[in-house]
This record gives sequence, C-alpha cells and structure tokens, in this order.
Amino acid sequence: MVTQYGIKYAVHLITTHFGDLVAKVCECLLRRGPLTLQALVKFTELSSSQVKNSLLVLIQHNCVQAFLPEPGDHGDADKLNTQYIVLFDNIIHRWRFPKFLNIVSEKLDEQCVKLLEGLLQHGRLTLKQMSDRDRARLDQKEGEDVILDATRANLIKLLNARFVERCPAAEPVLAKPTEEESSARKRGPKSAKILEENETLEHRVMDAAAPSEALRFLLVTQTESAADGGLDESNTSSLKAGVKRKSDALESETESGAADEQVLLWRANFEEFMRRLRHEACIVNLRARLDDGAVIVLRAMLEATRSAEKKVKTEHSVPLSLNSIYEEVIKSVEGRNITFDRVRASLVQLSCPPFVKAINESYSIDFKKIIELAQSDEVESVVLKRYGSDACKMFRLLSNTGRFVETDKIADSTLIEKKETPMVLYKLWKDDYLHMEKLQLTGTRQSHFLLWKVKKNTIREHVLDEMFHAALNLNLRLAYEVEQEKELLSLSQDNRDKRLRKVKLLSQSQMKLDDAIMIFHDF
Amino acid sequence: MSRFQGANALKRKRPGSASDALTDHDQAVLDVIRSKQDMGIYQRDIKREIHIKNGINLPDPAITKCLKSLVTKNLIKEVKNIQSRGKKHFISVDFEPSNEITGGAFYNEGSLDTEMIAQLRRLCWNHINGLQIATLEAVTEYINRTKVPKVQLSKQETAELIGALILDNEVMEVKSSGTGEFASIPVGKVCYKCISKRAHGAEPKVGAFASIPCGVCPRISYCTPDGIISPKTCVYYNKWLDF
Ligand code: SF4
Repeated sequence: MVTQYGIKYAVHLITTHFGDLVAKVCECLLRRGPLTLQALVKFTELSSSQVKNSLLVLIQHNCVQAFLPEPGDHGDADKLNTQYIVLFDNIIHRWRFPKFLNIVSEKLDEQCVKLLEGLLQHGRLTLKQMSDRDRARLDQKEGEDVILDATRANLIKLLNARFVERCPAAEPVLAKPTEEESSARKRGPKSAKILEENETLEHRVMDAAAPSEALRFLLVTQTESAADGGLDESNTSSLKAGVKRKSDALESETESGAADEQVLLWRANFEEFMRRLRHEACIVNLRARLDDGAVIVLRAMLEATRSAEKKVKTEHSVPLSLNSIYEEVIKSVEGRNITFDRVRASLVQLSCPPFVKAINESYSIDFKKIIELAQSDEVESVVLKRYGSDACKMFRLLSNTGRFVETDKIADSTLIEKKETPMVLYKLWKDDYLHMEKLQLTGTRQSHFLLWKVKKNTIREHVLDEMFHAALNLNLRLAYEVEQEKELLSLSQDNRDKRLRKVKLLSQSQMKLDDAIMIFHDF
Repeated sequence: MSRFQGANALKRKRPGSASDALTDHDQAVLDVIRSKQDMGIYQRDIKREIHIKNGINLPDPAITKCLKSLVTKNLIKEVKNIQSRGKKHFISVDFEPSNEITGGAFYNEGSLDTEMIAQLRRLCWNHINGLQIATLEAVTEYINRTKVPKVQLSKQETAELIGALILDNEVMEVKSSGTGEFASIPVGKVCYKCISKRAHGAEPKVGAFASIPCGVCPRISYCTPDGIISPKTCVYYNKWLDF
C-alpha cells in the first residue's frame, strides 16, 4: 500500500540522501510507474546523462530495478526498451539501517557489523571491495590475502544467517503474467489502480530478477572451485535447500571463484531483517497482553520456524508439535527452567484469543491476527487521544462487530448517555473514521435511523497515510532543530542541553513511529 | 344516549366507589393510564385515547387538572421516559415502569447513572480479577450480593457491564478449554478474564503515532511542508519540545 504521503516521504528521503536530481527521477517513477530512459528524460526535463546517473545511483542502492518486458507482449516498440521500476519499500528501509545493524550486532561479532555497515552505505559490493574496505579500516600490516580470508569468513557468517544475499539480476526479461496475477490487477477502485498495478508488477519483476534460492546465500570460494566439488561447511555457506542446491552449486562451480570475488555483487537482505523485526513486533504486542511464559513460548516457536518462512508477510508459521516446541523452549536461556506442563499451559493461554492455532496436536502462530491486533491498538490509541474515551469505546464496538450498528444500540452497548452518542459518532464520521448510512423507514413514528460502521481497510490506509505525513513532519522538524543548533553554538550550556534533549526526543520518536509504519505497511 | 348526555354522565361523581373523590373526567384519565400498564402514557396522547374510548373531547386544561388531582391522590405518578425526557409521561402507581421507559437498572430519573455504573464496573473488574477466570453467573451473583444496584441485575445487565469493560480493553472474553485454569468450567463456555498488566481504570499504553503531536493533531490535513501550517512553525511542536 503506497499512499500519497508515502510518496512524499520517500522523495524527501531520497532528496536528503542523494540530492535533488536523483529525487526528481525517483519521484517521477513513483508517480508514473515504470518508465524507459527516454520517457524519464521527457518527463523530468533533465538531460539524458543526468537521468542515467541518477538511475545508476538508485540501482546501486537497490531503490530501482531495471527489466525488459517480454518481446511480443505488446506491439508497442517502446515496451521493448529497458524499463525502470522504483522499489518503494527499499527506499523506506533506508530509515531502518540502524535497526538492521542492531539485529546483526546482537547475533554476530563486530566485524560482521562493520561489513554490513559497508553494504548498507554503498548499496552493493563485491567481496573484493568489501575486503579493500576492511584493509583500509584495519591494521595495514596484515597481508592482502589474510584480510581477504577474514572478510570472506565474515561474509559467510552473514550469508549463513541470511543477513546478506546475492544481488538480483541486472536486467531480467519479464515473463508474461499468470492468469491469476492479471485478474488480481483488474480488481480494486480506479484511484488506487496505478499504485496497485505497480505492486503486482514489482513482484513479477523482482521474482524474475531474484537469484535461485540455492544461489542466493551461496559463496563459492576460490579453493573450492579448484578442488573437485568439495563443499565444505566451514567455508561455504550452508543451505537446507536439498537437491536443488546441489545442481545450482555445480552450475556455479563452472564460474571461476576468483572472478566471482571481483564481480559478484552482494547486498543486505532486507527481507530477513524485516522478518526479524516483524517477529519482534509480535513479541512486543504479546508482551502487553500475556505473561512471560507465553512470551517465551512464542519466541521459541518463532525461532524454530523462521527459516521455513518464504515471504515477510507470512500468515501462519509452519505447525510444530508440543514436543518440538518444548525442545526449542529449553534451548533458550530464559526457557531453561520451564517445565513441559508450563509450556502446555502457555499454549492454552496463547490460543484464546487465538495468537496460536492448534490443529491436530500441532501449533501454528497466527501472524495475521497478531499484526491486526497491533494495528488496532495503534488506531484506537489515536482515536482515544483525539476524540476521548467514549469515542474510543464506540469505535472499538464497531470495529469488533464489523457491521452496521444503529445509534441507540451503540449507546446501549457502550453504556453511554443516549443524547451524547450521536455527537461523538458524528465527529468520528466527519474525520473519516466511521462510515454512516441513513435508513429511511416509512410508517413508523421515528422515520429514519442512522447506522454506523468501521471499514477497517479504509481506516488502515487513512492512518498509514497520516503516519507517513507525520514521519515527514518529524524529519522536517528535526532538520530544522539541527539547523537552529548550528546557529546557536554560542548559547549557554543550559540552552545547549535543551537543544540536545529536543533532538534526542525527535530522533527517538522517528524510530518509534517507523515501528508503527512497519506494522501497517510492511507486516 | 345522546352525546351531550354522555358527557354529562361522565361529569357526575360516582358515589361509594374506591375512587371516591374522582370526577368522571378523572376516572376516564385514570382508566386510560391504567390500561397502558407498565408502559404508561404521554400526557399529549391521553386526549386522543379518551376520544377513541369515550368519544369525548376533553380540552387540555381539563386533562392537566385531572392529572394533578390523580397525582395528589397518589393514584398515578410521573416518570421520566429516557426516549424523550422533556415530555410528561404518566403511569399508574399499580405498576413499576418498564425498562423501556426508565432505561433499566443503569438509569436514574431518566438519565444514565454514571456514578453507579462506575462503581459497578469496578466491582465487576475486582471480582473477575480475584477469580482470574469468571463466568457471567458468578459475576451477576456477586454484584447482586453487594446490594449496590438499586434493583437486582439480570444476567443480561451484568453482561452489558462486562461488555463495557471489554470495550475499554480491561477484560477479555475467553472460551473455557476445560483444563488448567478452566478446570471447574464446562468446555466451550464463555468466561471473562482481566487483561493482565492493566490496572482497572489505568490509561492504556499510548501508541507510537498517538504520542507525537501530528498523531493527535486536528489540523494534519491542512499542514504542508511550506504552508501556513507547517512542521517548522507548528505550535503543537513548540509546546511539545518546550522543556
Ligand atoms: S506538524 Fe504540527 S500542525 Fe502539522 S500535523 Fe504535525 S502537529 Fe499538526
């Protein structure tokens, strides 16, 4: 879901990171959908080389992907030229780099963090480039090979944890859409059409560009390609992909390992980071509702099923038996003392309301439900703060029932004074939080009734757009405060402390707001 | 009997009956009110009813006079109707006004008794919290034992109280699994449980969006980066950042 303010926010990010020219090209792609180089030149009124350079920057930073539409797909000659599609999510992810680095620092050592930092900073790098960076950073005395080996070992660690992946193909040929995809594109209101079509197209392009699952996390080293197919766990990233992996690996062995190190590009695997952040968000949400035991069990289940997840927005985790959950629980530090019965009891707790679903003695996490709850929390909190507790109660009632309810019935169910109810509902309706319909009845004394309803999808979109707007505002305000700070260097210590506190509060709020945006946009 | 005589006949007093001092008009009004049982009747509608029943037209002042005398004699009483509190509504003293008129156990004098509701809600919450898992029956019985409500609460009414707690996110509805903490409750029965980590009446945790100025801003749709209302000049931000 890309909203109008989402676009403004993304353009603002690109402007601050890469300047106005790149931002102009990026905005053009965000608003008009995929374009060829010629079309971009026409629309942006920039020179061809300016557009080209901007595109190169955007591609280097994984914000744009080039592709070739399948020949013969359309008669239009223009369509046969390379097109460029902007990857909105990857632009927004740029805000999350500190969060990504944090995840790595919790799991791996400092060297790996540095390696990832380089990748985030430069978008894409070869092993050789990474090692050159390490050499510049580390003690110069070490030999080139020693450092290359160390860099390689760190890269393998990152690959094994799936924090880094092979870059997608530079310019894949797009296959025809499957029937399912094209029918999906036809649905939906007209206004959202461009944005929606882009999303399905984006999936197709990214699918076409993605390296095979087996190659994605595989680094074939020089020594291996020389030796006869000996894949050794210690210096090759391991994969559970099975047979497919073997054939892919063999294929890649025909490439020269040495050349690989010079040309193969690597980048941060945003998907894995987003998955971990999503899991973390689930835990945070659950912690507000249930006790520690339940949280430990959920964490263990997430740990055990993470690698089986195919996409970030997975609805259910793969089912686990009680025994395997218990095994996983006692692996963790906090879970070491937990008894089998406690785990069983926690699972009961987790299944009402159903955060975890039990099917035939196996348990599966209902991500969709947990995320929906987190979204509701956020929206209700806004309603509470903006319109007060009575309004929030009414909103929750309507949001829980999910259908039309009449004014008096709302007053009865919420135990709120009848004559106050319509006023509160009206306020919510005016700001688009409620949907209202008049019901005209002929013959009875009261001739019309008002019916109210919460349309969850509309609200979600509305709130997300406002959140993007707020994120943009936070950024602008922060930039403004920092600017002020420069001018006020001559200030007294006291005033400077105040400034610092302001900036700190603003930056913290940015990160927190981004957590909420993820819940609505990415999860 | 001519209509004229009829009207006269009504005027005559009926000696020896229980409503000794009643005029015929008084009686006609009383009959109409009694016939409405626990629903009572609007003053305005009495005239029409008498016309239908007795075929006479009583002028408004006459009806007002009858009502006054009936109230003084303690035969009828005025009640507040929650539907329209401004209008006068009468009911015979032989009946307790129905819930439709009074609004039920949570109403007092035609308006919601918010103080009592708050007290009842606290009782409900405390009881559920104490029991950890509570059934509707258990809560109803407990509440009625406390004698706080002025009339006995039905299960339905207790459910309304708990419903309001659920809408405030203080209590949640759960289905008994028949084991563990539900051991004494039949499988599948709906029960209630307090949402742990939230004290009764405490403010819920504020969401990330609601905790910054723009999240609660009434002007967000007018606010643009370089407009008259903009984040740089925003008064809400100024206030928020004013340590
Ligand atoms: S910047 Fe100020 S005026 Fe603009 S939306 Fe935020 S709080 Fe409202």
